[in-house]
Amino acid sequence: MLRTRHGVTVLFALLALLLTACAEDSSGGGGGSESAGGGGADDGPIKIGAVLDITGAGASLGVPERQTLELLTERLNADGGIDGRPVELLVEDNQSAEDAAARAIGQLINQDKVDIVLGASRTGPSLAMRPVAESSQTPMISLAANQAIVDDAEWIFKTAQNDIVVMEDMIALAEERGWKTIGLARDASGFGEGVEETLTQLGEEAGIEVIITESFAPDATDFTAQMVNLRDADADVNVIWGIPPAAALAQRAYSELGPSAPVMQSHGIGNSVFLETAGDSADELIAPLGRLLVVDQLPDDDPQKPIIQDFIDIYSEAYDGDEPSTFAGHAYDAFQLAVQAFTEVGTDKAAVRDYLESVDGYVGITGVFTMTPEDHSGLTNEAVVPVTIKDQDWQLLTGTAAN
Amino acid sequence: MSDFLQLTFAGVSQGGVYALIAIGFVAIFTVSGVINLAQGEFAALSGLIAISAAGAGMPLIAAIAVGLALVALVAVVMERLTIAPVRSMSTLTSIILTLGVSTALKAAMLLIWGPNARGLRPFSEGLIEVAGITIRAHELWILAIAALVAAAVYWFYEKTVAGKALKACSEQPTAARLVGISLKRASLLSFVIAGLVGGLAGVLASPVFFSSWESGLTLGLKGFVGATLGGLVSIRGAILGSLVLGVLESLTAGYVDTGLRDAVAFLLLIVVLVVRPQGLFGRQAEARV
Repeated sequence: MLRTRHGVTVLFALLALLLTACAEDSSGGGGGSESAGGGGADDGPIKIGAVLDITGAGASLGVPERQTLELLTERLNADGGIDGRPVELLVEDNQSAEDAAARAIGQLINQDKVDIVLGASRTGPSLAMRPVAESSQTPMISLAANQAIVDDAEWIFKTAQNDIVVMEDMIALAEERGWKTIGLARDASGFGEGVEETLTQLGEEAGIEVIITESFAPDATDFTAQMVNLRDADADVNVIWGIPPAAALAQRAYSELGPSAPVMQSHGIGNSVFLETAGDSADELIAPLGRLLVVDQLPDDDPQKPIIQDFIDIYSEAYDGDEPSTFAGHAYDAFQLAVQAFTEVGTDKAAVRDYLESVDGYVGITGVFTMTPEDHSGLTNEAVVPVTIKDQDWQLLTGTAAN
Repeated sequence: MSDFLQLTFAGVSQGGVYALIAIGFVAIFTVSGVINLAQGEFAALSGLIAISAAGAGMPLIAAIAVGLALVALVAVVMERLTIAPVRSMSTLTSIILTLGVSTALKAAMLLIWGPNARGLRPFSEGLIEVAGITIRAHELWILAIAALVAAAVYWFYEKTVAGKALKACSEQPTAARLVGISLKRASLLSFVIAGLVGGLAGVLASPVFFSSWESGLTLGLKGFVGATLGGLVSIRGAILGSLVLGVLESLTAGYVDTGLRDAVAFLLLIVVLVVRPQGLFGRQAEARV
């Protein structure tokens, strides 16, 4: 058949085309070096830029985050804005990709002249945005977990609990239950970066070690290979570290293969997509999660309870009864911190940065934030509680040493 | 040993889905030389339509039928609007045209269904334990239906007049026209077939591998590689190539590194194109459907 021969060149062209289309470019920031400095007009709207993972692997995180920001902006403006100035929200979709995130923040800062940037939803894109925010001296509040986002950063803050506080809780739980060996299946992107090292380091004293590490792409759908290897490693407990739907599909594949060792998951699973996708397979797993999911089971004197309850009420009223996820909570906290800063010190970027660094005792959805020049995350392991899942619902796990 | 079987089985059921996509590529390419890059989108679209239909209360079988019918319709409209009007179609032109259609379909799906991935409910729930491996009941459906469709497509091309006419178009276009076979109708028919098998791949894959507006890209890519392994002109070759690809992916992920899973397809593709452009299983200069 002649067409086969004839097609070869074309096929290569096609291949190149498709590769470009689906390549996951991991290029760092770049660009965006225009000096921003302080000042700027003191009238006109205050501009809040947001770069979120609205499509792609992080969609189950980014969509509720966008809804939260839109809701809060609308309510704030209805109340007269900040000192009479309305707030303008500019949301960019980074398609869950690092290069798109870096481009989006560059555009928000250089063209739209935003006063602050919120985002991204996931660690990888947040890390890609970091150099742009730093070099243009624009405050940025990430909604993602990995501590590397804010390590030694001057202009970057974050609202999700650091992954290290979650792992501290996991190790504490393992110690309490006498689990000595851990099998790990982690997200292959930024969120899962360094998990094995940190767990090993934290577990050293208690004699707990990671005996196998498998990884999965955040948009993977088949987990047979990883879970077979986990099962064979036969650890006392297995840790799945990812975000839905991948984390849920991994959980399902794990339970289908029938190993009996318990599973711990990360704080990356706090939304209903996880529960729906994992179904019964999620029963009995343990995860250190934010209080939002178990607010009805918290004691009444918990300082976060009223604010969380209020957030759930306004969110579900605005979005047809949908309950907010913990990721929506990350966006809520980032937005409120930014608004607080603008209310207190105006829009001068250096002043906003200094204000955020001095936040002390802000009670939010994710936790009670106390920032310092060294700690731009502001949360300790007080911000997570051990949660298990029963009948597709979150249950506060009581009577454990962790917290 | 049970690991090997488990991984192989996972690969075979994934390969079964690739095979249906690959059949679509071959069906169209042999008739008109068109490489249809929207083939993967057919699968994503049927999955999403079936999920919505099932969500609206339809029985599963009806939801699937709706998905398949609408996707076949989309394939027909696509052929009439973008393929038929082109006077001299080259493979390169077709790639650019169908890439445009694929992008448009993706945008439409994103607008209608939003960005979240979701799954159709499995045809049957439950797990089966055989020889130390766990098989999802739904995976048996994938294999059974893929085998059935493969047989039906084979029978269609070998035993029916319409199928023989399509074969004639691919082997001897001029002679086919001389004996009164309409190339236009043949092209349209090939798109209907591609829409149906692509749509079927979508609803079969959905419960296990999920559907989203962008799931068509990976499926289409893998199906294309599967078809190319079979030489791009042979249905049998495409099915075998797809199964080989699925199993190799799964074994590579299990025994080497999970990160290499998607690289397998491209490595295979490059090697085959350089060393055996007629496909893994074809003989030189042989036309087959």
